[in-house]
Amino acid sequence: MPTSTVHAAVAFLVAVGLLGEYYDRRALAIILGIVLFPELDTALGLVMDGAHRTVFHTLFTSVVAAGVVYWDTSREGSWIRGRWGAAGVRLAWVGVFVHTFAHLGLDWAHLSGINIAWPLVDQFFSLDGELYYSATEGVVQTFVDVAVDPETGRQQVDAGGGGTTATTHVSSPVQPSKEPSEGPVDRRFPIAVGGWQLYFLVVGAFTLLARRVQSTPKGTKES
Amino acid sequence: MPPTLLSVAVGVLLGVGLLGAAFDRRSLAVVALAAGLPDADAILAVLGVGAANASLHSAFVAVGAAGLLYYETERRERSWLRAQSGWYGVRVAWVAVAAYAVAGIGLDLFSTDAVALLYPLSDRYYAVVGKLVVSTQEGLVQTYVDIGEGWLGLASPGTVESHTVGSWWTPAGEERRLRLIESGWQAIVVLTAAAAIPAKGLVERGDR
Repeated sequence: MPTSTVHAAVAFLVAVGLLGEYYDRRALAIILGIVLFPELDTALGLVMDGAHRTVFHTLFTSVVAAGVVYWDTSREGSWIRGRWGAAGVRLAWVGVFVHTFAHLGLDWAHLSGINIAWPLVDQFFSLDGELYYSATEGVVQTFVDVAVDPETGRQQVDAGGGGTTATTHVSSPVQPSKEPSEGPVDRRFPIAVGGWQLYFLVVGAFTLLARRVQSTPKGTKES
Repeated sequence: MPPTLLSVAVGVLLGVGLLGAAFDRRSLAVVALAAGLPDADAILAVLGVGAANASLHSAFVAVGAAGLLYYETERRERSWLRAQSGWYGVRVAWVAVAAYAVAGIGLDLFSTDAVALLYPLSDRYYAVVGKLVVSTQEGLVQTYVDIGEGWLGLASPGTVESHTVGSWWTPAGEERRLRLIESGWQAIVVLTAAAAIPAKGLVERGDR
């Protein structure tokens, strides 16, 4: 994972705006819970090979969650609406958004990526590449490589596919390496790695702070 | 500099977060523009004024803009901005200044391209790069700043004379390149910003 702190900071940055008038400390705490929840599959890694970045990091979690929220909120006698009202509905949607972008998205672009379509397809995918416009080559992107095999003539698409749950282990403090090593285990809890991760911690904190000092004249609905 | 597209994306996220009741297409465009504006100093550099990531990336520009805005809207007897567009205008202006500083200058400061933050007082480029890790073996490991006796040191790739920030207008290599996205995480940030705009509209309208 990019560190949990980075997930949380990006989640806050996004949630402040999307929560709008329902923004408060409690909603923020729930968002924090939602964005950290997928890391629970690190613990499953102790009993299941390659569980981390697989079980709760598949895109199906987003699809299922979005489907359930949509189904519930558009029917008569919605459970979410009945229990928590409009605030609950908003929070549910923001939760799905934050989970998809601030957690799965960022993990997709980090180390071995995520097991994006598990359990349908057991393969890790990582998003890596660049996009630029060059004066000599035109628009160039290297996220997805499409190449024609010179021998067979078949077209091959490489979208950053990697190993399976059996061959991929994404290191975590719970399980630094797949096999227990000799001697003292160095468990590392990264807070920020690289300038950009610290940057997002700063931006997340800045957004929360700025939202606090903002004043809205009476009669204007804060949304 | 990191791609201007990325600055604009972070600017959009800040706009979605902080514009509040002033959020609409026009205000978001202003904030996104403010986020991308600092990168125009690469064009100024071609014209012989300052250098890329220096003249408009100077902290003095952001502080000056904030000070001016504060004076104009809070201290003057009759504020021009308030008279023109009321609360809306003031909110948009503040968020635009924040986007300029945080998304425009800040993003570049936290990258290896570095920013001449104190230009024109000093023409040295500064970069906040490193890591912060808690290790059970080594304790707290921090490499973003050197903490000396009574001073803080940041990494610096050089000064205006020795360090060139590559851009379309000031190519660092042989060919001209307009960098749009440099890595996976940048792609995700751009995607998130692109999705946040319609999402904001959807949740507001449908109250979902």
